[in-house]
Amino acid sequence: MAPTVKPYQITVPDSAIERLKTKLSPTTLPGETTFSNDWKWGAPLDDIKRLVNFWHKNYDWRQAEAELNKLPQFMTTVSVDGHEDALAIHFIHQKSEKPNSIPLLFCHGWAGSFIEVTKILPLLTSGGSDSEQTFHVVAPSLPNCGFSQRTTKPGFGISQYAEVCHKLMLQLGYKNYVTQGGDWGFPITRAMGFLYPSHVLASHLNFILSLPPSPLYTPLLVLQYLTGRYTPAEKAGLERTKWFTAEGSGYNQIQATKPHTPGFALADSPVALLAWIYEKLHDWTDQYPWTDEEILTWISIYYFSDAGADASVRLYYEITHPNGHETQVEGPMNDLMKWNKVPLGLSYFPKDVIVVLSSWGRTLGPVVFEKRHEEGGHFASYEKPDLLASDLRTMIANSGISCS
Amino acid sequence: MSATQPFQISVPQEKIDTLKSKLSQAEFPDELAASGWDLGAPLADVKRLARAWENWDWRQAEERLNKVPQYTTPITVDGFHELNIHFVWQKSEVKNAIPLLFVHGWPGSFLEVLPILPLLAAPGGPAFHIVAPSLPNFGFSSGVKTRGFGAKQYAETCHKLMLSLGYNEYVTQGGDWGFYITRAIGYFYPSHCRASHINMLRADPPTFLKHPTLALQHKLAPYSQKEKDGFARTEWFGKEGRGYFIEQATKPQTLAYALNDSPVALLAWIYEKLHDWTDSHPWTDDEIFTWISIYYFSTAGPGAAHRIYYEFMHPRPDSISREDLHRWIPNVKLGLAYNPKELSVLPKSWCRTLGPVVFESFNESGGHFYATEKPAFLARDLRTMFGKGGGAFKVVKGKSGYDRTPRAYPAKL
Repeated sequence: MAPTVKPYQITVPDSAIERLKTKLSPTTLPGETTFSNDWKWGAPLDDIKRLVNFWHKNYDWRQAEAELNKLPQFMTTVSVDGHEDALAIHFIHQKSEKPNSIPLLFCHGWAGSFIEVTKILPLLTSGGSDSEQTFHVVAPSLPNCGFSQRTTKPGFGISQYAEVCHKLMLQLGYKNYVTQGGDWGFPITRAMGFLYPSHVLASHLNFILSLPPSPLYTPLLVLQYLTGRYTPAEKAGLERTKWFTAEGSGYNQIQATKPHTPGFALADSPVALLAWIYEKLHDWTDQYPWTDEEILTWISIYYFSDAGADASVRLYYEITHPNGHETQVEGPMNDLMKWNKVPLGLSYFPKDVIVVLSSWGRTLGPVVFEKRHEEGGHFASYEKPDLLASDLRTMIANSGISCS
Repeated sequence: MSATQPFQISVPQEKIDTLKSKLSQAEFPDELAASGWDLGAPLADVKRLARAWENWDWRQAEERLNKVPQYTTPITVDGFHELNIHFVWQKSEVKNAIPLLFVHGWPGSFLEVLPILPLLAAPGGPAFHIVAPSLPNFGFSSGVKTRGFGAKQYAETCHKLMLSLGYNEYVTQGGDWGFYITRAIGYFYPSHCRASHINMLRADPPTFLKHPTLALQHKLAPYSQKEKDGFARTEWFGKEGRGYFIEQATKPQTLAYALNDSPVALLAWIYEKLHDWTDSHPWTDDEIFTWISIYYFSTAGPGAAHRIYYEFMHPRPDSISREDLHRWIPNVKLGLAYNPKELSVLPKSWCRTLGPVVFESFNESGGHFYATEKPAFLARDLRTMFGKGGGAFKVVKGKSGYDRTPRAYPAKL
């Protein structure tokens, strides 16, 4: 009854592609106004028109699929306590040829997918010079995303996602591993550090949530915070965070309270899905020059996902409603921001959506690596794979971890 | 006045065909077990409604709506292009009837006035000339093509509408955006808007500086049980129910694609509110489809209406903020209706800081869509407030709501 790992190739049925094309024409789009292309109001009309047209007429999913299928993909099942006995998990697994490689779990986030690992993968497994650290990389599709299975019971929250990732690593023979994450990768890898501390060698984060230092737990940092001396980069980070909170968190609020309602839009209308995600691909990145193909591949993974485009948003609800019914302000996220002893690497990218002060980040645990970059945004592994790979290597070198 | 034309709703067949075609190809998500209404509109409901909507006869509903006297008139608001404003206009036979402007909100429409029309026309109370427009971007009024159409502009549209119909002085009724817009009308046109009845009440606690008496009352008297329940309801809405608001107030264009392209998306988005915002109102399928079809078939398209949220939350420098409308507005006599299942249910001492209150009703049941859920209560409120002996009796010069009954002179011999 042990789960077996099988090689996997994405093969979206023809019927799904045809269904997409049928839905893309005719689309009913909003009418034009003088401000329908102003990004402040949301995804611009002209962009969406162009993308819909391209998606319908010229975009070739089979070509994108073939490219993705060059990656070493696998499928296995994982049992989750209190939930599915054999949850199908899709993942990329690439071992490095080089000696002393360290296992690394790469955890994607929302509006992204396993695709977020594709550019950094060769850098992590083949590395730069011979002396540079390399990794065996495992990058799953999280449950409810990509080509992993959809969960059915309420209460499949952060702990369950952490359990899936941990059990996957164990299945592959990696008892000790490093984690890397941004977006949902933050809470999921943090949870792994709390739940499986003897297994997680180090944790690298490119999306850092934390609270101001508290007099109780980190008194020295409080002083730094109170003297209010921020670097210009930290100041800019706070401004960016303010903008995101005031202008960019609508999707978060609705997904965290009534995920089923927008779920109908995401399931029924590829245009709705396109706009919903495309807005983030623009707003959350540092002017990343998305090609239309890239955009549509990112979004097609949602459209063609096994779980359905709507399933992924439920995690927002689960994390804010740990007891099912009521939003808990002091919820699981607060627990995940407490001090954890796993060595930490923090990479701050200026155009991420929440960019906290360094003194705050240091309350998360023993920081062995920290860098505040001058460019890059939320999808750091995709926008700046070189920078992120370099950060990971330096973190390992600083931490003195070696593979065991 | 000659520009005012009678109007009949006549949705092009093409739009009806597109709706049915899209519904027939609808795809649905799955659902987490036993979620009920917690995570949003339930799958079983939406599926059933989508299928029923596909077979529903809009033309019948249209015919029914067209029995109500409707008109359009062009209105130009400063700095904007001319807008064609659609409105219901029920004139009374009584010459001195009180001009009443009824302002709907989101996800409502002019429809919301219909249940009170016969009640206010019945004998036994003051008479009203009732004007209920489709707000710009809603229903069968024009869409606004340029930005900056906020509180001031909505108020100006409604005010100019009343003037164009010959009503120099008038009274208002509103909830939801109708609360904000009628408050703005009172703010900008105090010599025209003589009194306002509001059923969604947003206000701040009284401070000693501004409202010493109310602040003292507030300090000394404990909250009643109803008021405590009200806080719980208000908190629930704040924590669980504002996602739609924040999305609409920050990225309305992104949402517009969903609402335009998928009638199922529109159905779920609105239907959730029809359930969550009412006091177990027993919506019929007919009511639901009529409400939502008005959005689907609206002149400006289903993605335009909620731009109002963005505009109000990003006011122009020369406009007013939402907060301004939560504060004391002098000169406009106020009638307040307190409904237990409204979205913000605040204590009396807070709500009385809104202005000179001359009428209050405290209802045991009812929610956000007051006119739809409790038309009898609303009609009672208006008749009491504006009728003989009411706090706003004769508030409009020369329009008491009653024609002078001929005096019986003793016969002179």
